[in-house]
Amino acid sequence: MAWEYSEKTKQLFMDAVHGKPGTHLGEIEDPDGLGEHGSIVCGDAMRFTFRVERNPDDPTKDVITDARYLTFGCTSAIAASEALCSLIEEGRYTPLQALKIQNKDIVEFLEGLPQQKVHCSVMGAEALEAAVFNWAQKRGVDLDELGVDLHTGEDDEGRIVCKCMSVSEPYLRRKIKELNLHTIEEITNAVKAGGACMSCHHTPGGLQDLLDEIWGTDGKALHILPADGFEEATPESLPISLSPYQFAKRIEKVMDEQVRPMLRHDGGDLEIVDIKDNLVYCRMKGACHGCASATRTLKMTVETTLKEAVDERVRVIEVGAGT
Amino acid sequence: MNIIYADNNATTRVAPEVRDAMMPYLDEDYFNPSSMYEPAQRTAHVMAEARKKIAGHLGVGEPTEILFTSCATESNNTAIFGAATANPSRKHVITTAVEHPAVLEVCKQLERTGYDVTFLDVDGDGNLHVDQFIRALRPDTLMVTIMHANNETGVIFPIEELSRLTKETDPSIIFHTDATQSVSKLPIDLDGTLTNVDLLSFSGHKLHAPKGVGALYVRRGTACRPFMIGGHQEQGRRGGTENVPYIVGMAKALDLAAENHDEEEDRIRAYRDRLEEAIEQQIPCVQVSGKNAARLPNTLNVSCHYVEGEGMLYQLSEYGICASSGSACTSGSLEPSHVLRALKIPFTAIHGSVRFSLSRYNSDEDVDRIIEVFPQVVSNLRRMSPYWDNEKNAPRPDANVLMQGNQK
Repeated sequence: MAWEYSEKTKQLFMDAVHGKPGTHLGEIEDPDGLGEHGSIVCGDAMRFTFRVERNPDDPTKDVITDARYLTFGCTSAIAASEALCSLIEEGRYTPLQALKIQNKDIVEFLEGLPQQKVHCSVMGAEALEAAVFNWAQKRGVDLDELGVDLHTGEDDEGRIVCKCMSVSEPYLRRKIKELNLHTIEEITNAVKAGGACMSCHHTPGGLQDLLDEIWGTDGKALHILPADGFEEATPESLPISLSPYQFAKRIEKVMDEQVRPMLRHDGGDLEIVDIKDNLVYCRMKGACHGCASATRTLKMTVETTLKEAVDERVRVIEVGAGT
Repeated sequence: MNIIYADNNATTRVAPEVRDAMMPYLDEDYFNPSSMYEPAQRTAHVMAEARKKIAGHLGVGEPTEILFTSCATESNNTAIFGAATANPSRKHVITTAVEHPAVLEVCKQLERTGYDVTFLDVDGDGNLHVDQFIRALRPDTLMVTIMHANNETGVIFPIEELSRLTKETDPSIIFHTDATQSVSKLPIDLDGTLTNVDLLSFSGHKLHAPKGVGALYVRRGTACRPFMIGGHQEQGRRGGTENVPYIVGMAKALDLAAENHDEEEDRIRAYRDRLEEAIEQQIPCVQVSGKNAARLPNTLNVSCHYVEGEGMLYQLSEYGICASSGSACTSGSLEPSHVLRALKIPFTAIHGSVRFSLSRYNSDEDVDRIIEVFPQVVSNLRRMSPYWDNEKNAPRPDANVLMQGNQK
């Protein structure tokens, strides 16, 4: 599919390809920090190196002077790598400060990335983390003591299932089992996958397929009303304790004794069209019918009356005037 | 001889503006929208614009909710089989007895694989009864699929009301409507009055775009599996290289329909009403199907008792008039129209049915000509009919008895 890249992205890519002065393609010899991220499978891989100006007293005050990359990947992968190096060098960051660079900073530097390419900016951030980790080891800096939490995530590379949020299949499988996620909604709430364009929900190999594969498919597809009777009923669908006949009689009685007089007082009336379990289908008639706000208030009043007089699970559904 | 085309519910002519809008994509701009290079990016952009326009015309907020297909039949298959596959625990479907075969046959196929299908009846006017609809809803109902407007009679179903009742009863029941005859004619606002509709099908060739392109609206969050899989087009929901020129054409056709909608509708309705009145006045023993129901403004389905449809159509075509019929001989299957049977129109009349369906390209002169010709066409056949008394210009006294003998 053809992406729409920003002019800046395209420019950075072409500059890097032509080795224009100021670009950062390359590899530093004897680097102070070396990090790699990505794989052939993903189609993006980056080898990121940096050199620092060492601070003789406090290694955490080392300043990054040069940052370089070797990247295997698409236009946006290379542009994102350029962006990362530019951001670091311009900021004259220490390695720990550089950790604050997130993929959204890279996206901003590039003046936007198509949603399907956001994962390229993530690659940059991950390679940086790996390089900082490497630097810390070389310089004897204890990251745990400093409270820095690095996440390596190499095991999460693989086919991207949710393109908008760049969530991979291995990652999803891990999280679905780890967090006991049984529905698409739960997946979205936990890891954001499927929360944007939603096309990964039902496409082959998408979220539902993964769920079906992991948990099996015995009737869990729709969890609002069960397929066969009331085994796992929600409170609303629990059988009313009266028999259907008794229930209908009580509804009619309350309608005649309480509801209809109230409506007739204002020139209106009400007809019961059907009663199914706890649902009472009514058609408003007379003066009140046709006025949207009157019918809404009436429906709520009728519902409240029935809830109090018959059963609190009763729900009223209004039927229009047509046949 | 010029033809008078009165069969627009079967297909429509491609509007000249639509043809012009499509030409570049049948000529120099032939690129595959999925390709990388710049010319292809332009084509992809044009297609995205077409999608956005179509979405706008249907009141759809998010353009990717529109999937492009090859036709409404594909859209209907996708909607129904797709919803069934995505929700395997529910095995009941509600539809009507008057749906187009692209819905009916799919529902019958589901029945063969163990589904329970309720085919709602209509009354003599072609209307559904809401009470019956409510009665049909069950805890295991997977989906409702009810057309917006009927292709044979033009009768309009209250899908706003039906979809609302469906969702208030159980929000997880999927609501699909085949809107092939109503898109471009009736207002469709999927984020407004039709907010309870989850899936909607239509095709291009009923709205002055070419044959071979259609669309399916899929509301975000609707569980519906792909029907045609392969490439990653339509975000993995419908494989196959997109039919760019025809998609552009369909968007243009909808633009045209919106431009002069109200005036055109008034004009077309006036033609239809004039034709209907003249036929009722000049030809004895006729009945208009769906006369008392809400109908599309362009459709007139009239049954002439004691004569047969194909004979009428042939005569009409001698005069260059193109129309269609619900008779068995014209159906290709020897079965008379299932729609007219559902309206309980007697066999005798179904065989004698003719459908005139008009468009913006018809004129007063067309209507005049049909009025001039049609009564003669009917009386020619009645002269030859064993059930008609020519001298009295009325049915023979024993006509009904004779016809009963022929009814199965």
